[in-house]
Amino acid sequence: MRSVRLTLSRLRPARVAASLVAVLAFAAVGVYATNYSLWINGRSSTAQGGNHADFSYWGPASTAAGVNKKSVNWDGFSRVADQNYRIRDALDCYCTGTNWCYIAAHSAGNLQIGYALSLYGGTARNKKNATPNAAGQCGNTDGTTQTGWNIKWVDVAAGAGGGSELANVGSWAVSDPLTSDLKTATARALYDHNQTRSKWFYMYAGAKGTLYSAVLPGQDDEAVAYHSAGGVSGSGGAGFCNPSDWFCNDLTLGTAANEGGKAKWSYHTVAFRDDAESLNHYTNGNWGGVVSKVRADMAANAN
Amino acid sequence: MSRGKALSALGALLALVLVAWLWWGSDGADGATAADASSQRPVVSVPGSAASNSLGGETVGVPYSAAGLKARQEQLVLWRGRHERAEQILASYRDSTRYPYDSRPIAEHPDQVHPFAPIAEQVKLRNANGEVVKGINLRTTQERVFLSGAESVRFTITAVDDADRILPLIIRNASAQSIPDSRTPIRIIQTAVAFTDDGAGADDVPSDGRYAGRLAPATQGFQHYNGTIRLLAEVASDSQQGVAHFDVVYAPDAPATWAGVREALEAGSLNFYAKATVRQAGRYVVSGRVDDANGVPFALVQFNDEVAAGSREFRLQVFGALVVDKRPAFPLRLRDVEGFLLIPDKFPDRATMARQVGVVHTSAVYPLSRFSSAEWTSEERQRYLAEYGKDADTARRQVEDLGGK
Repeated sequence: MRSVRLTLSRLRPARVAASLVAVLAFAAVGVYATNYSLWINGRSSTAQGGNHADFSYWGPASTAAGVNKKSVNWDGFSRVADQNYRIRDALDCYCTGTNWCYIAAHSAGNLQIGYALSLYGGTARNKKNATPNAAGQCGNTDGTTQTGWNIKWVDVAAGAGGGSELANVGSWAVSDPLTSDLKTATARALYDHNQTRSKWFYMYAGAKGTLYSAVLPGQDDEAVAYHSAGGVSGSGGAGFCNPSDWFCNDLTLGTAANEGGKAKWSYHTVAFRDDAESLNHYTNGNWGGVVSKVRADMAANAN
Repeated sequence: MSRGKALSALGALLALVLVAWLWWGSDGADGATAADASSQRPVVSVPGSAASNSLGGETVGVPYSAAGLKARQEQLVLWRGRHERAEQILASYRDSTRYPYDSRPIAEHPDQVHPFAPIAEQVKLRNANGEVVKGINLRTTQERVFLSGAESVRFTITAVDDADRILPLIIRNASAQSIPDSRTPIRIIQTAVAFTDDGAGADDVPSDGRYAGRLAPATQGFQHYNGTIRLLAEVASDSQQGVAHFDVVYAPDAPATWAGVREALEAGSLNFYAKATVRQAGRYVVSGRVDDANGVPFALVQFNDEVAAGSREFRLQVFGALVVDKRPAFPLRLRDVEGFLLIPDKFPDRATMARQVGVVHTSAVYPLSRFSSAEWTSEERQRYLAEYGKDADTARRQVEDLGGK
């Protein structure tokens, strides 16, 4: 009690009273505002659908990656539409009522959160209790609804929202349903990418790509090119590069139109461009590649 | 213990917990620890500091160690970054939500201005081994990705060199085939698609090097099929061979049919009501573009809501404040209206209504004075402005407490 008495002695009475009122108010209604960090995976063969504690896609679960981090875990195999309920379930769980969320997405996870916000972001959502069952679904709190989810912002690593030319030519040695959604024409027609309901998408684009450089236009991270990872609007196929490449239009940082005039989707800003060409697409089970940059931002700012 | 006493004791206990939390809370962001269950910590505790007790602007004048000073400086940098982001998010949200989400400036949707323009792409030609053939590119277009009922889709293929000069092209074979989208086997449907460069059928200009073909699923064997159709065209140019791929997603039945448009000036906004005969109830997503009298694209108007079967109307609103702010020349023209039934949690996730290409309705002429300049209000907007405002305020106070300006 000694430390508490010392603490109290340094506090202003008005502040103590205000805090007490706030605490009693919370106690009376039985709700607490909590922030969560939701991680939405990309292509996967091991993700445990609905298990919000399984971080095996990303890396060690003990690694700092934002306050109260949860792994959304859709199957990473099926069509976006088939699995989008996993994302909506998680958003309902943690991002309704008094709770708010920071979102981090990787690769095709970009399509999942974009699809959810664009097509379902204005729908009525039941307020949930942030206690999921084995299927990743939470119970209702007071039976009321709200419009959309409570999302502060979205970080996207190696976003595949604009698709990948690897899917166009079948270079990924698989023909899973997700690959069909990742064709550039299909990914860009799936929903209005500008409709984020004013949530900012911070785009992190890697450029350590050599293996498929003949297929992927401009700079790439071995799976997606800058036109997608940088949130460039319009048709796919356009090449964008780092400023050091004189023979290719620059992907600009921030929200400005890219060199050559192509705009980014609204509410998309390039937060990281891999000028050192040092980060590839893959987490390598240890928060690796361009995901490392998003993890650092989430750890620092999703608080 | 009485209920009142129990509540009082609980309140006192929680108050003590809150005070202790205020005092001892650290700013670590490791979500794996239970200590992170709190949100928006109002206090920054600086490791290594002898005086990490900044609280509400109140500081204790105990000197910092070198490590403490460094840590405090790092915290200041961190909170300055958070403050900058929070202020930007708040200002952006406040500005953007002056208008509702279903009535937006078209400039905010740059790739939605001409939604029916063919999707144009260019890829390098790859041979049978998957290797890139240097110097030969395939420039392709496809009219659409999603289609339903009697709709058809046109494709074109052109071979060009690296300087964009057209190269001779041969379409050796082209066929469309159903593609399974799950592990469940399906009956394969396959049909030939003719590509020509003779100015007839799907091709509009003869001998221009651009070959065109059209797929009409309902009349080419897919009338009972619901899913992906993949068109593969085997091509040859300059004695090199390769393949062009196209995917479309087909639904055999259109869920609703259009039945005209009416307009009404209501509560200071102009509402277009796109009428429809809805055969299949559910969530419909409808979009239209509004141009001013000079043909300048002005607004994107949208509808996204549950609709029952029967004769219905989709409201496409031109919000009053948007008109007041942008001052478009009247009459306004509603054009390029598209809609689909959104089917949750399955693929295909939509069944499209027939496209309405071009101008579908021209409004009356209204004076600006009949439009409301009031900005959009909603519970959603208030909720977000309050939260974003709190974040900005918290970050600002942290910067101030840490000695920043």
